[in-house]
Amino acid sequence: MSAAVRTVAAPAVAARRGEALAGAVAAEWTRLVSIRTTWWTLLAGVLLMAATSAQLAIYAQNSNTSADPTDDRGIVTAGSVAIDALDLTQYAVLALGLLAITTEFTSGTIRSTLTATPSRGTVLAAKAVVTGAVTFAYGLLLGLIGVAVAVPVLGPWGRTPVAATVGDVLAVAAYLALVGVLALGLGAVLRSAVLTLIVLLAVLMIVPLSLQEPDITVLTRIADGFPGVAGRHFMTGDGDPYPAVVGLLVLAGWAAAALAAGRWALRRRDA
Amino acid sequence: MITLRGLTKRFGPVTAVDDLTVDIAPGRVTGFLGPNGAGKSTTMRMVLGLDAPTAGRALVAGRPYRELRRPLHEVGALLDARAVHPARSGRAHLLALARSNGIPGRRVDEVLALAGLDDRAAAKPGRALSLGMAQRLGIAGALLGDPPVLMFDEPVNGLDPDGVRWIRELTGRLAAEGRTVLVSSHLMSEMEQTAGHLVVIGRGRLIADAPVGELLATGGSVRVRGPQPEGLSRLAARLTAEGAAVDGDGAGGFTVTGVTAGRVGDLAYELGVVLHELTPVTATLEQAFMELTADAVEYASGVAR
Ligand SMILES: Nc1ncnc2c1ncn2[C@@H]1O[C@H](COP(=O)(O)OP(=O)(O)OP(=O)(O)O)[C@@H](O)[C@H]1O
Ligand SMILES: [Mg+2]
Repeated sequence: MSAAVRTVAAPAVAARRGEALAGAVAAEWTRLVSIRTTWWTLLAGVLLMAATSAQLAIYAQNSNTSADPTDDRGIVTAGSVAIDALDLTQYAVLALGLLAITTEFTSGTIRSTLTATPSRGTVLAAKAVVTGAVTFAYGLLLGLIGVAVAVPVLGPWGRTPVAATVGDVLAVAAYLALVGVLALGLGAVLRSAVLTLIVLLAVLMIVPLSLQEPDITVLTRIADGFPGVAGRHFMTGDGDPYPAVVGLLVLAGWAAAALAAGRWALRRRDA
Repeated sequence: MITLRGLTKRFGPVTAVDDLTVDIAPGRVTGFLGPNGAGKSTTMRMVLGLDAPTAGRALVAGRPYRELRRPLHEVGALLDARAVHPARSGRAHLLALARSNGIPGRRVDEVLALAGLDDRAAAKPGRALSLGMAQRLGIAGALLGDPPVLMFDEPVNGLDPDGVRWIRELTGRLAAEGRTVLVSSHLMSEMEQTAGHLVVIGRGRLIADAPVGELLATGGSVRVRGPQPEGLSRLAARLTAEGAAVDGDGAGGFTVTGVTAGRVGDLAYELGVVLHELTPVTATLEQAFMELTADAVEYASGVAR
């Protein structure tokens, strides 16, 4: 009997993996929606986005002192306001990503999770699928809210070209999904919510900002390799120093690396 | 069937489990006994693939846990009942576990009922569960996949007398259905009534792996009385020579440990000593356990013996 079990054909193994992943995804979805923290976090992100993008839109409007819309600082797009508002808003998404794994460690439920799904890779993949999908959809919502708030506040100083705005909203969603997954992977390595948040803060803001500060080319180029900066290049679509799509790939690389590190840590360490 | 082969776990300088080789057979409740820190929980975690063994193997139905396809259908385990998310309801906790193994949602209601948790209790968030409720929830989780192998780590912890009786009946019933049931405890009195077989460990090492009755005999003694003081002292001398411990006045009789009543009778016949009483005195499991683990208690109490 054991011989029969061991010599399962490759397609059967693949089917079995798929089945295990589907089950694990369903379980992660149940875990996510069954705690109130999730809903509060989502609400907090919405409020942050609305408040921040209103504030940024007021700044943009205020710096335009002339009555002539073609004068002064000029016109901004509502999409760019939404993108700028992410500096703060993204923390709601980061919390969602990292809490998906760190609460399992702090509450001890990781043991029942791994008992039900012994493959560490499958558990993390399921969490990544759920986190990625939810934060992408949520990112679309946030992007739309940012735009919707910015448009009336900007008034004549704002523009909302349809194609570009749709692009901006999609870019916001993609960015948030990727940093959400990055937070998840990092959480799997560090196991502590506070520690993960500190490292995220350092990697997304503090370190690249300090590198950019002295305005030395080499340091600025290094900063361009950090996920937050790369994500920004991607969302704003500026071609310097690399095309927008490279920014997306750099950010995706960070997310993939964090997941790989998380899987390695889950496999190697006792639960 | 749970198979442990040379199972060893070290945490730095601490050897929590030391070269454990045991088979836990189906169809009976196996008590897993040992003083605090003996390595019971660590052993169970290794069986579940949660801790990687430093050496040796732990197999369930002949396979390492991590290779099991839908493990909840193969093994049900209660480890730490307190390990529930503080804000998630018990029902959602079970539902997530069920979904991961393709178990239908209605099975969640079944096991909740089996564990004696009503709708109100199942809707409570983890932080609002009493220890007894959490324990019942953990057992409900173990039963989800109707598995042939069950492991409960200190299941009676925190349960009221009703709950204790429930566990006793449940484990007995599960074993009677032909399942492998491993229940850890340091409460001997509990095991005496539930378990048919005992695995005793101390400081991670196997101390005993035997039917309850046999262990009781180990700690037991034999009371001997007879009308011939001279004959009794010859018998006592002979028993001592065989390595048994004789205790009591040689006049009317004595108590001997470390030998069976049958052997004492044989020797009396051989020596031509008349006996009026030859009574095996079974120890309580408590006494047997104390004797077995006397050398292995990690945290010996400060009270003088
Ligand atoms: N993660 C860990 N890191 C370091 N040491 C550990 C770890 N887990 C267990 N130990 C040690 O291993 C030994 C066995 O612990 P274990 O929890 O398995 O004992 P136990 O028999 O379950 O005890 P109890 O009856 O108190 O539950 C103890 O000395 C304990 O301190
Ligand atoms: Mg224990």
